[in-house]
Amino acid sequence: MTFEMPDFLLALPEIWVLSMACLVLVVDLFARGRESALAFHLVQFTLLAAAWLSIETQWGVTATTFSGTYVADKFACLLKVAICLLTFLVFAYSRDYLRKRDLLSGDFFLLGLLGVLGMMIMASAHSLLTVYLGLELVELCLFAMVAYDRENRVGSEAAMKYFVLAALSSGMLLYGMSMVYGAAQSLDLAQIAAIAANGESGLLLAFGLTFILVGVAFKFGAVPFHMWIPDVYQGALTPVTVYVGTAPKIAAVALFVRLLVDGLGALHDQWQVMATIIAVGSLAVGNLFALVQTNIKRMLGYSTIAHVGFLFLGFIAGTEEGYSAALFYAITYGLMAAGAFGVVILLSRRGFEADLIEDMKGLNDRHSGFAVVMLILMFSLTGVPGTVGFYAKWLVLKAVIDVNMVWLAVVAVIFAVIGAFYYLRVVRMVYFDRRSDGEPLEASTGLRIVLAGNGLAVLVLGIFPDSLIMACKVALAG
Amino acid sequence: MSNATLLISLTILPFAGSLVAAFLPANARNIEAWLSGLIALSALILTTACYWSVTAGGVMRYEAQWLPTLGLNFILRMDGFAWLFAMLVTGIGLLVVLYARYYMSPQDPVPRFFSFFLAFMGAMLGVVLAGNLIQLVFFWELTGLFSFLLIGYWHHRAGARDGARMALTVTATGGLCLLAGMLILGHVVGSYDLDEVLAAGELIRSHALYLPALILILLGALTKSAQFPFHFWLPQAMVAPTPVSAYLHSATLVKAGVFLLARLWPALAGTDAWLWIVGMSGLVTFVLGAYLAIFQQDLKGLLAYSTISHLGLITLLLGLNTPLAAVAGIFHIINHATFKASLFMGAGIIDHETGTRDIRRLSGLYRFMPITATLAMVAAAAMAGVPLLNGFLSKEMFFAETIAAHDGSLVDQTLPLVATLAGMFSVAYSLRFIHETFFGPPAVALPRVPHEPPRWMRFPVELLVVACLVVGIIPELTVGPVLETAAYAVLGPALPQYNLAVWHGFTLPLLMSVAALLGGALIYRLLREHLLGGVEGPPLWRHLKSQHIFERVLVTVSWRWAGALKNLLGTRHLQVQLRLLVGTALIAALWSLYGRELAVDHTASPALDPAFALLWTVGATCAVGAACLAKYHRLAALILVGGAGLVTSITFVWLSAPDLALTQLLVEIVTTVLILLGLRWLPKRIEGIDSGARLRIRARRLGDLALALVAGSGLSLLAYAVMSRPAPSSISRFFLEHAYTEGGGTNVVNVILVDFRGFDTLGEITVLGIVALAVYALLRRFRPASDSIDIPEQQRLQNARDAAPPLRPPGTTLTDYLAIPAVIMQLMFPFIGVLAMFLLIRGHNLPGGGFIAGITMTVGLLLLYIAGGIRWVEARLHVRPVRWIAMGLLLAAGTGVGAWLFSYPFLTSYAAHAELPVIGRAPLASALLFDLGVFVLVVGAMALILLALAHQSIRSHRTPSAKATVTPPSAGET
Repeated sequence: MTFEMPDFLLALPEIWVLSMACLVLVVDLFARGRESALAFHLVQFTLLAAAWLSIETQWGVTATTFSGTYVADKFACLLKVAICLLTFLVFAYSRDYLRKRDLLSGDFFLLGLLGVLGMMIMASAHSLLTVYLGLELVELCLFAMVAYDRENRVGSEAAMKYFVLAALSSGMLLYGMSMVYGAAQSLDLAQIAAIAANGESGLLLAFGLTFILVGVAFKFGAVPFHMWIPDVYQGALTPVTVYVGTAPKIAAVALFVRLLVDGLGALHDQWQVMATIIAVGSLAVGNLFALVQTNIKRMLGYSTIAHVGFLFLGFIAGTEEGYSAALFYAITYGLMAAGAFGVVILLSRRGFEADLIEDMKGLNDRHSGFAVVMLILMFSLTGVPGTVGFYAKWLVLKAVIDVNMVWLAVVAVIFAVIGAFYYLRVVRMVYFDRRSDGEPLEASTGLRIVLAGNGLAVLVLGIFPDSLIMACKVALAG
Repeated sequence: MSNATLLISLTILPFAGSLVAAFLPANARNIEAWLSGLIALSALILTTACYWSVTAGGVMRYEAQWLPTLGLNFILRMDGFAWLFAMLVTGIGLLVVLYARYYMSPQDPVPRFFSFFLAFMGAMLGVVLAGNLIQLVFFWELTGLFSFLLIGYWHHRAGARDGARMALTVTATGGLCLLAGMLILGHVVGSYDLDEVLAAGELIRSHALYLPALILILLGALTKSAQFPFHFWLPQAMVAPTPVSAYLHSATLVKAGVFLLARLWPALAGTDAWLWIVGMSGLVTFVLGAYLAIFQQDLKGLLAYSTISHLGLITLLLGLNTPLAAVAGIFHIINHATFKASLFMGAGIIDHETGTRDIRRLSGLYRFMPITATLAMVAAAAMAGVPLLNGFLSKEMFFAETIAAHDGSLVDQTLPLVATLAGMFSVAYSLRFIHETFFGPPAVALPRVPHEPPRWMRFPVELLVVACLVVGIIPELTVGPVLETAAYAVLGPALPQYNLAVWHGFTLPLLMSVAALLGGALIYRLLREHLLGGVEGPPLWRHLKSQHIFERVLVTVSWRWAGALKNLLGTRHLQVQLRLLVGTALIAALWSLYGRELAVDHTASPALDPAFALLWTVGATCAVGAACLAKYHRLAALILVGGAGLVTSITFVWLSAPDLALTQLLVEIVTTVLILLGLRWLPKRIEGIDSGARLRIRARRLGDLALALVAGSGLSLLAYAVMSRPAPSSISRFFLEHAYTEGGGTNVVNVILVDFRGFDTLGEITVLGIVALAVYALLRRFRPASDSIDIPEQQRLQNARDAAPPLRPPGTTLTDYLAIPAVIMQLMFPFIGVLAMFLLIRGHNLPGGGFIAGITMTVGLLLLYIAGGIRWVEARLHVRPVRWIAMGLLLAAGTGVGAWLFSYPFLTSYAAHAELPVIGRAPLASALLFDLGVFVLVVGAMALILLALAHQSIRSHRTPSAKATVTPPSAGET
């Protein structure tokens, strides 16, 4: 047995994030008291640098290291860049919010950074072991972040429920993995793919597949494993909600692609039916339940479920176009969701969370610019042409139509139309309802700039989506 | 200018203007108007300049790369039909800008108005010039958005908000359907390029997806054009400022629907489905709109319903599937735009100058504003289809089309009659519009004194009315070439023969026109009295307001039903969620089993020993008991968990794994104590839990039990199936073979821990140290809940009894409860220490090792604490766990670094043996030093955690509430 020195340089982005996390931990210990400004800026710098490092070291490379448990390829690179940049955005939103509530400390950003590390590991996983390690790292951070405000009973309850359910689903995922391991006798995804392709040991793989799908669907928050989403979205602090609602969705795509496409892609026929049920269920439950919400965070939670249903259409198609469409969907959805929650943060102030849909009333009178941002975001979430949300929907619909599942596309469109109602309700509140206290917004300039930038990004991507579509396509083409 | 430049500037100009307009100061009315006017004028000139390129079937195209990955280009395309629409959009746009300059009051925020207006114009031009389907839908939605903003312009009025909302809801929903339809259409054709789609008519009509695509596209078009049954939003949209209505409802927004119908006419028309859906919808709208228009009391409401009716007419013409009808439809698009725009502006002038639009209050305005009255009369006559005006021409073409037999069905035969009837209605409402407003006695008590509007406000109306007249009298010379250009673009070279002459001789259509005029006059005469006194809306129908139905349906479906569904299926209870999660997983697993067989290799497993079975039964019972009691009695549950752990430990012994068994046993002890110490701070038992008396609760629990049993046994079965498979080739063989030769030990487990995988172990013990520190840090500031801060019940009772002896003389009260165990433990402690050292040293060859030794030592310490009490122990023994942790880590790391001195890689171990007195031959590998580090660290870490927990009990006594009760010195302190 010889010891082989792994190629550490290949995993430079992760190593960088980990080292910086340690550094921030120590720095924050000694530089507390000044609102953890140093920690915040270090974390933000780390994220940007990690995105840059990912592009520098991993775009256009396809190689594995650490005995084949870690892979660097375009898919991983794109995901990492998206995860880092989205988290950057989320943190930019968070700081003001936390400061106003005296909750600001380096811990929040540190937990987030470690979560990003977990997501990056998931993106680069090339073995069941790595997938699971990354996943657990993310989840641990998420639990802690959801329970971040200990005084908040709703948040604590949400965290507790999330923990129990997530532990159970992780158990199932692990169980499925162990079965796949039993069938394939290997943890390496490439070898698993080879075993799955030759068609032997079918039943064991089928069981493993089922449990893995259950676990993955839970991470996405797809029906019937969606229960945690509304509770967590509503219960957690808004910055945490944004965090939960953006980058982890992209990481979930990584989870799906790594496990069920890279690993068990040969069994596509078997998981297609289950994924279809999940997708249709998510579309139905997400859209119908979102209609009756009065809390905007909860509403966006259900809308997430609906979007996950859409995203699954890309997987169901089972083609390269489908997967890249799903990836595109996840990335753009992250951007839109971040913006929507950003508006909630913008409206909130100490002692007032602005988390009711009614609180959107009269935004146009208070600041017409952000009313436009909200309008763009809501239209984009609806999927109105000219916004980026449209291309996302179009690509996944195209993918399923191309494999002759027209009925599925029709169902999806029907639910999308239903979904339009609750987004338009928000638009109505913003533009046509008045509130008695039309007081000006008190958000800081920084937050305003970030939010405006987010809206602009959605708009620009809506007009020139091609480079991102291309990137997603190339990433999936390997 | 080249074609490309023309088209691009035509598209961009309005949007650029909109952007500039948005940033002008709020009081710059004139600048705004000039800017918008100039933009509209330039657009008009640009469009006119395109004319010579699009005559006789010419098509201008500009293509730019947009989404190459999807094979989608940004295409601007102008043919004759698009040119016609572009003319209407820009021309009427220009007039409306002029009109709006005088109409809008100084209080209105003008920048917003003109900005939205120009943007809307741009969106409309985008729809018209779109060269691919996606682009078309994109601009289509933009028109919806900007019309929404325009309709809701006076958003301080509730009516404006409702109207805008309804318009948006209906048209945006339709837009999404349209999008889906376009996607299917693109899928069918294989391209989204409009030219290719129009050329693929045959393919589309014969495709299996034709019907879904058609229905979805029609949903988009019909909602936009306010066709039955989606007509109800348009009258609501009349709350918009009149210039907006004049623009949106004459030439642009609602025309977009019929534009689309005509645009896709070559691709989609010609089937029965088209005839029935489009034709019927148009027919019903045509008649219904005209009928309802008669009963309106609001001038703009009347015009709104008349617009609906005329759009119905156009839709009907396009739906008839004949080229001639299509030509008539296109012709009517032009005519309707001219007379309706002028009528809306006229109504706006009346509103502006008198302050009301209520027909019942208006009367005899001819006296005050004769010019306006004349203009309105001409326009209304055009609307009614009076000869020598443009409306007459297209209406007569329509009548001629209804007569031309198609298939002889019942509908076909009644069509001329229905058409004449609708014609009568339209004459009636036109007559009413004029007669009630301008004639009769002078109106009294108007909000303002009526007079003629400013010169330039009337100018657009004059221009349009002149157009009506000119077209009506000399159609061949004026509109003839334009119509031909437009119709050519839709119908292609096979243009049907049609005659635009005013006079065709005494024909049946003329008779129908005359009948319509006379009948209309008669209807008006009959209804006049009723209408003047009447309320808004027609008899009977009045109560059936579609907008209320719409709202109610919307609320019911989107709120009540969805709410009911949520109450039925949604839950926030964790138990239910868990049940769902497990249940679904179970179903999914069963599903993958369906139709297949789970192959279990029974031969692999040996026969079951009865003793072993008994052991496991006990263990399982303990586990189940613990699960049952966990909610009610934590201590009992903990004890049962301990039982299960013990069984696990024995199982390891049974399976010949002494190392594991030992570890398991010791870990079990330590964790039990840990949990026990933690339990001290939780309520002992939960009171007030429903004991399950009620049937529903009992049923639910039984259900849960069944679910748990099924899921559990399923999992066990699967696990068994996996484990009975041949094990994969693992690295265990390597370790077995090389443990002694390379690691110098026969206890393979230990050799792996300290040698082969030494680096892992180093990491693990580091983590253990950190965990201990974290627990300590967390507990340092731990404040127990107030209800668990008191001394435990038993202790309190005993204390009370001891403190107040009823009969005993003082000094005889027993204080040392644990004196004997304490003494025993004092004796035992050194022996336990020796045992730990023994386990440590022999670990390399026999069961034992640093970890086990460490836990053994900890157990000794623990027993000392339990028996002797914290204060007693700490008065005599200075345990400094943090130092132990540091020492252990340093030792372990130092061993690793030591290898560097001999130029070996980190943690390379050196194995040797030494003859020791008493113990005998003992391994003296450098790994032993490493193991010592592990031992020291484990002791330190465990002690730190235990002490942190144990110290809580002392702290609680220091709290005021505890001090209040009499606290005797704790056991063992005396």
